[in-house]
Amino acid sequence: MPALTCFHCGEPVAGDTPVVARVGGLDHPVCCIGCRAAAEWIASLGLQDYYRLRDAPPPRAVAVGDYSAWDRDQLQRMYVHHRDGGEAEVCVLLEGMRCPACSWLIERALSAMPGVREIGVSVPGKRVRIVWQPQLGSLSQLLGALAHLGYVPHPLDRESLNDVVEREQRTALKRLMVAGLGMMQAMMFAIVLYAGALEGIETSTRDFFRWIGLLVTIPVVFYAARPFFAGAWRELRALRPGMDTPVAFAVALVFVASIVETLRGGAHVYFDSASMFVFLLLGGRYLEMRARHRAADVVDALARLQPAVAERLDANGVPESVGVHELQIGDCVVVADGATVPADGELVSTECRVDESLLSGESKPLLRHRGERLIAGSIVVEGPAQMRVARVGAETTLSAIVRLIGRAQQQRPRWTRYGDRAAGYFVCALLVVTAVTAAAWLVIDPTRAFAASLAVLVVACPCAFALAVPAALARSLTVLAQRGILVLTPNAIESLIRANYFVFDKTGTLSKRGLELVSSLSAGRFTVEECLRIAAQLESGSTHPIADALRAAAGCAEPARAQDVRATAGGGVEGDVDGVHYRLGRAQFASATEVDDDRIVLADSRAILARFELREVLRDDAPATVAELRASGCGIEVLSGDSHARVAAIAGRLGIDRFGSRVHPEQKLARLAQLRAEGMNVAVIGDGVNDAPALAGADLAVAVGGGAELAKSSADIVLAGDRLGGLVEARIVAVATRRIMRQNLLWSLVYNAAAVPLAAIGWVPPWLAAIGMSLSSLAVIANSLRIRVGAPGTAAPAPAAAPDLTPVPA
Amino acid sequence: MNIVFVLIPLSLVLVALAGWAFFWGVNHDQFDDLDTPALIPLSDETANGPAEAESKAP
Repeated sequence: MPALTCFHCGEPVAGDTPVVARVGGLDHPVCCIGCRAAAEWIASLGLQDYYRLRDAPPPRAVAVGDYSAWDRDQLQRMYVHHRDGGEAEVCVLLEGMRCPACSWLIERALSAMPGVREIGVSVPGKRVRIVWQPQLGSLSQLLGALAHLGYVPHPLDRESLNDVVEREQRTALKRLMVAGLGMMQAMMFAIVLYAGALEGIETSTRDFFRWIGLLVTIPVVFYAARPFFAGAWRELRALRPGMDTPVAFAVALVFVASIVETLRGGAHVYFDSASMFVFLLLGGRYLEMRARHRAADVVDALARLQPAVAERLDANGVPESVGVHELQIGDCVVVADGATVPADGELVSTECRVDESLLSGESKPLLRHRGERLIAGSIVVEGPAQMRVARVGAETTLSAIVRLIGRAQQQRPRWTRYGDRAAGYFVCALLVVTAVTAAAWLVIDPTRAFAASLAVLVVACPCAFALAVPAALARSLTVLAQRGILVLTPNAIESLIRANYFVFDKTGTLSKRGLELVSSLSAGRFTVEECLRIAAQLESGSTHPIADALRAAAGCAEPARAQDVRATAGGGVEGDVDGVHYRLGRAQFASATEVDDDRIVLADSRAILARFELREVLRDDAPATVAELRASGCGIEVLSGDSHARVAAIAGRLGIDRFGSRVHPEQKLARLAQLRAEGMNVAVIGDGVNDAPALAGADLAVAVGGGAELAKSSADIVLAGDRLGGLVEARIVAVATRRIMRQNLLWSLVYNAAAVPLAAIGWVPPWLAAIGMSLSSLAVIANSLRIRVGAPGTAAPAPAAAPDLTPVPA
Repeated sequence: MNIVFVLIPLSLVLVALAGWAFFWGVNHDQFDDLDTPALIPLSDETANGPAEAESKAP
């Protein structure tokens, strides 16, 4: 029988009591009651087309929580903007939004709610902006509806309503468009002038076309090119000429020279060159900006980690939902099963298990006893837990980690671009040459001074020079994005080439979340298969990784459930299979006589029946990636917050001899500083929040997709396809990019070295100078297009069955 | 040839109009989400509920 998958979320349907949802007159199997509610609600709104339109299944619907706390005034003041006319506006970050069909579904479902006036969904930003009338519907109802659909809503504070990212994107698009329109018009009129120069044209007609050309170039120079002028002004004030200075200089120069030529009826104008130059550069910057925006910012990440609402116990012990910012030190808080701990504090109830993997890297849920510390941002796995608040707000460990990121980001060495400095020198040299030319011609033949110095300026206009680096970079960003590798900072490509020491995190980076069975040893009374079957039945109701591994090893997805199953936190499970009582779990739990090790033991009331050894699952491409990096002479190290045995096991399987275990975020940062002091260029690859400070402090930070948003926000490169192998591909592209960049720079140098002297001695008429300038720019762009993953001479390993070639929004 | 003195300013007016239309579009959220609207026509028949779909059936 083929494994059933849930109609709503696509996860396998487990258990022998099938839950069905009635959609479109047919019964569809679903995995849980939450998914049934979601599917039937969607159908009742007449939106079942969603299942046809979507290209990625939504997250598993969870039981809809209680959002009534969001109607409290204190919370609303922070999150809701009240407009004139009695309308309210809120911005909600949605966890689990994946494809355009999600946005379609959310829009349709919310507009059916009473009082909703406007809905703006942004799929890349994973957020929805809702305007509604608070008299007709409450915020908690809206959030409840979103949760009902299977998305986890996190309202964002009021500042996020005026979206900086959106405004930046819109302005960039407008500038690009203006430059594009202006360029097309200016070129059209330039063709008339070129033709006129060859065929003959009346002076009045020629001047008319020049004035028109000037007219269409004005918006390009004064509106579209404004970022370059602003940047150049900043660079000049700081006395550090970068890339913007020569660009702004070239644009201004060509524009002013053309105006002068127009006014005095000179030989040639260059409006087309100016606007084409601006358009090409803006295009490169637009691509760069889009890649940058794909990464979620720190604010979003924090919104997900830190719950906004907590269940506080009042003096009579009655729970009451309050905003987290209202919590005081000493308050008593209840944290439900699966909820996030709202503040640092100590456990008041007897014991609970918490998942701190996001914060510490420890892969197993940890057992906490009364009086022990719980930290904000960790998740209670087996609860509920009752805790006393000890530290709130900025004092919590989570906030400390965020501060560490901030500090590490300030320490990050600023990589300067190759082209930047070179272009600075080039502009200075060019000015000197122009001045010398003008001076020399003024002595020799004053009538030719202007034409000759203009030819020098135009022929050597640093267009090719200025495009050499951005054109290659823009091309490599596109190529990498197609392979699911998102480059977020402009320096990442250069850092990737220089990196010669790779520090990997373990959990979630080298290993997947989950376990696999390595060996099973039967004590002899039953065969291994029978033992596994008993174990799978005992674990049939559990979602613990060990249970998943045992069920998978037993080969049955839906084993019959054992009777009287009881789970003990930190121990294991016990229950009756075929009338016999069995215990399964840590050795001490299953059989009091055993020495406790990492293995899982199955025992009945008399003796041990079997031992199972489990290990973490390596990412499929981890061995190949590590081998590839080692082959190219890079140092490799594993630093993890996990226990020594587990880190050693993973390092041993990958043949890595340097590793550190139980490493805190601060220690990771210190280790990086030490490595860098030894002259290494360190790349850090990680996925968790605990990696975020180390990522921010590394020369190159690589985050693995599917990890914590906070990690991605401090990364230079995100491997969105969830493949570690992307690292090797990115290195290949980076090397190709550097080679192309050098060729581009060399070409523009050679071209200038040849053309400038000719122009200076007056052999190059300005029209030829303009053609030369355009051709040299085009040559640079054409050369840049040669960058691909399988670039010639790089012997790219064909990626075997890359699962996902489309860029996944981070 | 004198017609160009009329036609070219006219073309500039058209370009200005196109630019204005584009700015209007950007300012009115037309370029924020380029993926979702493509799905809407696919579902228009049933999007307004099963009642309408039935009424269209022969």
